[in-house]
Amino acid sequence: MELFLDVCSKLGNGFVTALFLFIFTLLLALPLGLLMCFCTMSKFKPLSFLSKIIVWVLRGTPLMLQIFTIFYLPGILNLFVWPQMNTGWVWFDTTFSTRFIAALAAFAINYAAYFSEIYRGGIESISKGQYEAGQVLGLTKKQVFFKIILLQVIKRIIPPMSNEIITLIKDTSLANTIAVYELIFEAKEFMTVNGLIWPLFLAGAFYLIFVGILTVAFGKLEKKLDYFKA
Amino acid sequence: MNILEVKDLRKRFGDTEVLKGIDLSLKKGEVLSIIGSSGGGKTTLLRCLNFLETANSGEILVNGKSVYLARDGEKPTVTLEAQLSFGLVFQQFNLFPQYSVIENLMLAPKLRADAKGNTERQEIYKDIRAHAEELLAKVGLTEKADAYPCQLSGGQQQRVAIARALMLSPEILCFDEPTSSLDPELTGEVLRVIRSLKDSERTMIIVTHEMEFAKHVSDKVIFIADGVIEEEGTPEELFENPKSEKTRTFLSAGKNDI
Repeated sequence: MELFLDVCSKLGNGFVTALFLFIFTLLLALPLGLLMCFCTMSKFKPLSFLSKIIVWVLRGTPLMLQIFTIFYLPGILNLFVWPQMNTGWVWFDTTFSTRFIAALAAFAINYAAYFSEIYRGGIESISKGQYEAGQVLGLTKKQVFFKIILLQVIKRIIPPMSNEIITLIKDTSLANTIAVYELIFEAKEFMTVNGLIWPLFLAGAFYLIFVGILTVAFGKLEKKLDYFKA
Repeated sequence: MNILEVKDLRKRFGDTEVLKGIDLSLKKGEVLSIIGSSGGGKTTLLRCLNFLETANSGEILVNGKSVYLARDGEKPTVTLEAQLSFGLVFQQFNLFPQYSVIENLMLAPKLRADAKGNTERQEIYKDIRAHAEELLAKVGLTEKADAYPCQLSGGQQQRVAIARALMLSPEILCFDEPTSSLDPELTGEVLRVIRSLKDSERTMIIVTHEMEFAKHVSDKVIFIADGVIEEEGTPEELFENPKSEKTRTFLSAGKNDI
């Protein structure tokens, strides 16, 4: 019983770390993706070309490799070594270790690349007539985008976005490869130290429940935008 | 004075010259119908007038004032005032799906009021709403004010689109094949609205395939073929007594099919 509680508390900590990683990644990747999308769609050829190359690399190489690259490459190139966090506040230092920051950076840019393509698909699927109707009514390009196009895009990209976001919560487990104390890392500790396998399955249940909650939330959001057809 | 004057308007897409020098003029309150076969340049002309396409050269004057003057290789800037001299009703309606009917009407005027930095916003919004309700009544859709476009029939959507275009009181209201994507039983309600606008002396340019309608509603008809005005005149002249061989062939084509 004591062991079970110990497992639960460790996994709980791991889950909180994973949750932070998830939330901060979204906060960074959602706007960054939009920026990347605008760059890719830019009429200025060098910018769109460069942006396409970046998206290609980010989507074309394993996320784990990108995490390693961000964490180790600065040291290898003698630029800097990710320092230790040292605020003296143990919980903060272990949760937001610089390893965490490195993993977060990798997740944010990787997911921004995927998001940018989802945005692009959404924006390009809106009929030209919507822009033209806005223009003949004297709206500026900015007004057309924010007042007319954006909500239609959001409605259309919710299904692919929720897919990607659900993948993200499970992908946070990749951060264990650079020893971020997230859920899988904690569960694996019990395997190597205590020879227990079931904490890993329990960790699985954490993901499952969280994804369940997300699925319901996205379903509600889809319902909410059901009042119009775009 | 002519409310609209178009001088030698030309438009190229790549190597294809779609408009090869269009000249036309229109008096206030006149209704002009543009007919011609697909690909002849009618829609392009209308789109150039609404600045959705940039004419390569030519001049557009509204009330004697030049609002667009292009020489080859230059792209003139279009002022908001020039843009709003024209209103356009699209073949595909292009209502904003996320807004209710009344919101579709009020969106542009509200944004314009906001841009002017008016302080008494509520007052102005009230006026805008009153105007919108008035126009909805005019197109017979008062009871649909809070409906969303997806809940309306094609004919109703097009009537909303007409009301929306009228919100900013354009000098010249243009229609791009307003009934072409409607079922036959729905064209009547839209044509009735357009006819009622003629009765209230609104200046209109209508690109249409509805020959009977064009005959009845227009003061002037032009037939465009291969990027030029092949023939122009009153409906009587053009429909009953076409001078050009091309016009005759075009007008009789439909009849021969039957």
